[in-house]
Amino acid sequence: MIAGPIVDVAFWLFAIGSVVAGYRVFRTDSMVRAAFYLLASFTGVGGILVLLGAEFLGMVLILMMAGEMLVMAIVMVMFMMNPAGLNPMVMVHQNRIAAGAGIVAFVALAGVGLVGQFPDRPAPEPAAATAQLGTELLGDSMLVFQTAGVALLSTMIGAIAIAGRRGRYGVAEDGSVEPPLQPDEERAR
Amino acid sequence: MTTEAVLIVAAALFGIGVYGALSQQSFVMLMMGLELMINGAILALVVLWARSAGGNPQGQMLGVVFMTVMAVEMTIGFTLITGVYRVRRADITEKLRRLKG
Amino acid sequence: MRPYVGAELAILAIGGTLIVGVYLVAVLDRLLGAVVAGAPIRPFALVVDPARSAAQLLVQQRRTTERPDAPGWAFAPALFFGLGALALAMVPLGPNLVVADPATGFVVFSAAIAFVMIAVFLHGWSPNSPFALHGAYRYGAAALSFQIPFLLAMLATALPAQSLSIVDIVRAQETLWNVVREPLGLPIYLIVGVGVSFWGPLNLSDASDLAEGTSVEDSGIGRLLWKVARAGMLVAVAAMGAAGFLGGWWGPLLPGPVWVLVKTLVLLVMLIASGHLLARVRIESFVLVAWAILIPLALLNVFVSGATLL
Repeated sequence: MIAGPIVDVAFWLFAIGSVVAGYRVFRTDSMVRAAFYLLASFTGVGGILVLLGAEFLGMVLILMMAGEMLVMAIVMVMFMMNPAGLNPMVMVHQNRIAAGAGIVAFVALAGVGLVGQFPDRPAPEPAAATAQLGTELLGDSMLVFQTAGVALLSTMIGAIAIAGRRGRYGVAEDGSVEPPLQPDEERAR
Repeated sequence: MTTEAVLIVAAALFGIGVYGALSQQSFVMLMMGLELMINGAILALVVLWARSAGGNPQGQMLGVVFMTVMAVEMTIGFTLITGVYRVRRADITEKLRRLKG
Repeated sequence: MRPYVGAELAILAIGGTLIVGVYLVAVLDRLLGAVVAGAPIRPFALVVDPARSAAQLLVQQRRTTERPDAPGWAFAPALFFGLGALALAMVPLGPNLVVADPATGFVVFSAAIAFVMIAVFLHGWSPNSPFALHGAYRYGAAALSFQIPFLLAMLATALPAQSLSIVDIVRAQETLWNVVREPLGLPIYLIVGVGVSFWGPLNLSDASDLAEGTSVEDSGIGRLLWKVARAGMLVAVAAMGAAGFLGGWWGPLLPGPVWVLVKTLVLLVMLIASGHLLARVRIESFVLVAWAILIPLALLNVFVSGATLL
């Protein structure tokens, strides 16, 4: 465990930064900007993980998210309307309920965190923790590790099957039309 | 950096994620909400591993599993976005009144 | 937890290395260009020319586009430069002569390389200009393709060391350098290294066929900073190649740090020379090669180096 006043300062910087960036994700017009904010939020969390001594997990989180956010930004520009946010618009539904649910989730979880009694048994040094994770991955938890690998492989195969242009019934976009936003129009067709 | 403080940050991220996942119309923004929720969960998991699990390596192992879940979620999400766009030309949830292909 | 050097010393060391390295890249680029073209070599002009171009860019009038994302535009070169510095901080000059040696140095370096695509995408997206965005997309496609072979090629160097720390990776090469142990590793790493800083044959995002791609709208100090950051990343890639594949500080006669510098210089010359000797590849062929050839080769490399260790 790393300790000292610098760690506290760094933690609060990362924490406030990642929460604010996480909030900004849903408060910006541009989707690319939203992806960058989300990446900033993830980087902050990765930094906190490193401060907590889980060096490997933190750095891998940051490494993984860089690629994911780029894919996300590209998908947005490919498929979503108004991705650049040049015309400000609000694309939300059930805003009040959602905000309420978010606040309830926060209060409940934060309450658990504050009220709960957690035993004080700190983890070993980061270097030892990284080595431990490696031994665990290829030792006792090998089955879990392998299952994760097989899950990822089947995800890849499934993704290619679903997203491929040639669908089960011929070319996927054949005869596809944009659905109307009003349900009545759909019934009338 | 007390355990409680980290847990509150994790709860905040999870709460923002819940808000985003429920309120956003755009598929990708919705997925960002899901990502934030998993993000908060990983943070809570790791702080409990670091502070109260006595360094049980299976805690970190669970973190790896969470990241796998995240990767799978992203992949399937993007796949469905691509598939739905091909078939329905839809980019927001309101455009999907029926889910039958 | 290993001891880290003080902040002042770290800033001095990395900053100094980067400034000298970037200038060296600029000089070497001109020198190799003259050698390849068969032009007369004028040493004084070679040394002074980069400073002159830099000064020219510094006083150039800045221009802007319609509705750019100004913070992102300003941030991108800084992020790129910072990533180069972060990658360079992981490179050891000697067993006890390193700015930072975290237990996961390999992952930190890979994360820095992965973040380069964010910096380049931001740089191409923020000016709100079609050519720049086109360049950003090109880099995205290229980077997503070379990311996996890069990770696998670097991963094979961690196998003999049984550690993700760069110092341990170099230490494990005392008897046999990784370039011999894993002959496929260094070529893959160099290909990717050229791609990371989009230099020469893999200069797809800032290519001249896109009117300089992501930096088409840059002017003045912004353009200078972007060039400096690119060259800095090239230096970092060469230095890490020297540490990961050419045995870092190990070598006869000369002291360790000198060996690191010599090896870095050799790799740097190779990387820069590629820009003058090879034609630029097309993005489609590069993506195809990366997915269909480099990934299987890199996997084979990991497999072979794992098998030899058994």
